[in-house]
Amino acid sequence: MSIFENFFRLSVFSLVRDRFLYLLFSLALIALLLIPAFSMFSMRQVQELSVTLCLSALSFLLLVVTVLTGSSSLWRDIEKRYTFSVLGLPVSRAGFVLGKFSAVALLLAVVAAVFGAGSFAAIKVAAGVYPSDIPVAWGVFCAAVAFDVLKYLMLLAILFFLSALSTSFYFPFLAGIAVFIAGSASQEVYEYVQGAYGKGITPAAKAVITGIYYLLPNFAAFDLHPHAIYALPVPPGGALLTFVYWLCYTGVMLSLAVWSFSRRELT
Amino acid sequence: MIGRVVFGILLCSLVAVAVPFSRSVAERPVLVKLGVLPAAEPLKMISGDQRYLLAQCAVVKVLFYYGTLVEKFQQKIALQPEYGNMFGTLQTAVVLDPWNADAYYFTQAAFTWELGKVDEVNRMLEYGMKSRTWDYQLPFFAGFNAAYFKKDYANAARYFQQAARLRPDPLLTNLSSRYFYESGESRLGLAFLDYMQRHATDSKVIRLYQLRKQALLAVMELQQACDRYAARFGHLPEKISDLVAAGLVERVPADPYGGSFYIDDKGKIRSTSKFAFAPQTAWPEKTTPKEMHP
Repeated sequence: MSIFENFFRLSVFSLVRDRFLYLLFSLALIALLLIPAFSMFSMRQVQELSVTLCLSALSFLLLVVTVLTGSSSLWRDIEKRYTFSVLGLPVSRAGFVLGKFSAVALLLAVVAAVFGAGSFAAIKVAAGVYPSDIPVAWGVFCAAVAFDVLKYLMLLAILFFLSALSTSFYFPFLAGIAVFIAGSASQEVYEYVQGAYGKGITPAAKAVITGIYYLLPNFAAFDLHPHAIYALPVPPGGALLTFVYWLCYTGVMLSLAVWSFSRRELT
Repeated sequence: MIGRVVFGILLCSLVAVAVPFSRSVAERPVLVKLGVLPAAEPLKMISGDQRYLLAQCAVVKVLFYYGTLVEKFQQKIALQPEYGNMFGTLQTAVVLDPWNADAYYFTQAAFTWELGKVDEVNRMLEYGMKSRTWDYQLPFFAGFNAAYFKKDYANAARYFQQAARLRPDPLLTNLSSRYFYESGESRLGLAFLDYMQRHATDSKVIRLYQLRKQALLAVMELQQACDRYAARFGHLPEKISDLVAAGLVERVPADPYGGSFYIDDKGKIRSTSKFAFAPQTAWPEKTTPKEMHP
């Protein structure tokens, strides 16, 4: 069995044993039970509100799992001195980092799949009470869930990179949240600067903002929520480009995480 | 032992205080506030993929606030409605989620009849039409506003045509033709209110339309009597009670908004309530998002 596979299996077992996961699934279940009732607050778009609530709850859930597990996975092993004994052996540190990353990625995918299946029932109930003029686009809904998972996998890669740099839990945790907020807003800020507002600022400031825009992860591109809520078509070209962007950005962040962790003094 | 005694005393005290406490909370002075939502642009930037939920929360907040106003009004409790803030909140909601049907529907329901903000409402509906390209209701609302409130029949026909293209409905087709304004504005208004009430799901909004229908029916009854009086006596009645004295109406109907009917110098039936819950407050032109600038 390869080193990667070993670390992956060990990390999965460690995550499954974590009581935090059971708390999370309990909260998700309560949220799913409440969604049809909360959807009735809408006057004219009960079904649309149920989709909104499902996707918002899932996004929040994935954010919590990503930030907490992404910030703590490497730090916890270092803190418990697990890495000192294991990484003293002739094993690859890349296998260690990638194994842990893949285990958390699997957890995110499972959370999304379970919550997505629960959302199907919640939306069916809400849509059954007040049918909408527009049908529920289930294919687009699945695409929105999948793109949410991709978005949080990208954030997870960034958190692993920050964890590989830091000796503290707080740095990747707080920096990860800051990157998430900045990455979610960067597209809006960029468009704002490119528009009429941009004429009033200096070219140097504009160049700095543009540079930061390209450096930060662009999370806005992964937002297919309006498409799923209002059954709007997803442009395939844009979706493919977003996927390629995800592949490259996540790959770069993971490479940096592996490189940084491999150079780290752990003894 | 001491710990158990202290716990017992605290528990008994909590039970004893629960009823007077909840009573005092329920009897607090009436203070209903909508609160302030930050400007649309920064909110859109920081809310990420939660902006659609935020938009819906803003709409629900306005709806709850308005529902409370209607309840207080029916209990004869005078409050100064924050109409400007309500409209600003709904504008922010549609910038966050330009597809949100509730925001457009409620704007149409609350800001045209009572406040006469027809231009602002139609600007918001125009903004919504760019996103809700399949929805016939937005051009239908805009067409009604143009015809009924603005007497702008050319624009109304254009909107109704747009609505009829999206939903081939005999009503919309008729409205888009020249016939629609020959049928008389009061009947048009009543037909519109009937349509809106039939398609409403929220009890507060249904009640609101019921009030307006009652007011419109009362005005129609009095206006017809006034016209008959003028035809019979060759001059306008001086006061509403003249219509009862002449036997044209059995009694003066009540204004559901709490005002008193009177006849203006052009012979039109008006009410001291202006068919609104309270006088209009300042309008937040400065907070209008740039997307909805005229």
